[in-house]
Amino acid sequence: MKSIILAMALLFSFGAVAHPVSYKDATGIMSYNSPDMNELLVTYSFNFNYAAAVTYLRDSKSEFAIPRFNYLIKRWNNLDSQGNIYLSGGLGSEKFNDKKYGVRLAEFIADWEDRRYYTYFEHLNLSRDNDTNPMLPNQSYNHTKVRLGYAPFLADYNDLNVWTILQFEKHNDEKQIEATPFLRFFMKNVLWEVGAGFDGSTKFNFMVHL
Amino acid sequence: MKKLIMTLFLVSSIAYAKKEATKPVAQSMVTSVVASSPVTTVNQIKVGVKGMVCAFCAQGIEKKFLGQKEVAKVEVSLENKFVKLTFKDGQSLPKEKIAEVLKEAGYEAVFE
Repeated sequence: MKSIILAMALLFSFGAVAHPVSYKDATGIMSYNSPDMNELLVTYSFNFNYAAAVTYLRDSKSEFAIPRFNYLIKRWNNLDSQGNIYLSGGLGSEKFNDKKYGVRLAEFIADWEDRRYYTYFEHLNLSRDNDTNPMLPNQSYNHTKVRLGYAPFLADYNDLNVWTILQFEKHNDEKQIEATPFLRFFMKNVLWEVGAGFDGSTKFNFMVHL
Repeated sequence: MKKLIMTLFLVSSIAYAKKEATKPVAQSMVTSVVASSPVTTVNQIKVGVKGMVCAFCAQGIEKKFLGQKEVAKVEVSLENKFVKLTFKDGQSLPKEKIAEVLKEAGYEAVFE
């Protein structure tokens, strides 16, 4: 059950790694992997404020394929910082036991960062038609994520950037808030994160802009 | 899991190497202009950029300017929040175009 909830949460995990919309004509590839599942996400930005994307996620029971549209509602470009508000929506399918079911999703993201500090908020709602999977009882899945980051040293563009990030997640009506510390490594067009939960679980995020 | 992580690292290395491989062309172009015509002044402009706080931001800006045929070299400084453009011999970009390229990348130009 826990792994399924985690997998559902990861449907939107790319937002936790980088901006859902990049610069014009940018292609982003991201993968999220844990012992129980694999996710691949490809985004293409038509402009700096909207992008098309496809998420593919596979675990032992279900396969999700969700085309989506990401929109930058507002950006604050300051000399020393940047803030963003994004909305994202998508329609896709969940394949379970050789049958396909509809999936709809909506997401809100707000972030603010400068070169030293990073804050991130995300709320996701996933609505599923499939009520036959006993491991996924919630047809309306909600997921809230908050991330706080700190760069222990300031690195320039050509240097390796290192961030420490603490992530808090809450799934549906679970009372427990899951906390995961991450180490983020960032250089030019490549970013990767390694996280270890307090329960011993490991997480790995990866992203490249082409 | 380990194989997957190794594969991702490999993909990232290839993507990074591919990106790096394109740089020396632009750099050598500027060098040859300076070396063969020592009296030629290399045409450069330094533009402040609002909102450029991370490597992805800088990478996008670098890529967009390298896509301009007039630009020979792009230097980005996150520390000093500017992008320095070196133009090909006898060429340049108007400030309006520079501002437009930065806007397409999602940022705001600040001219001194």
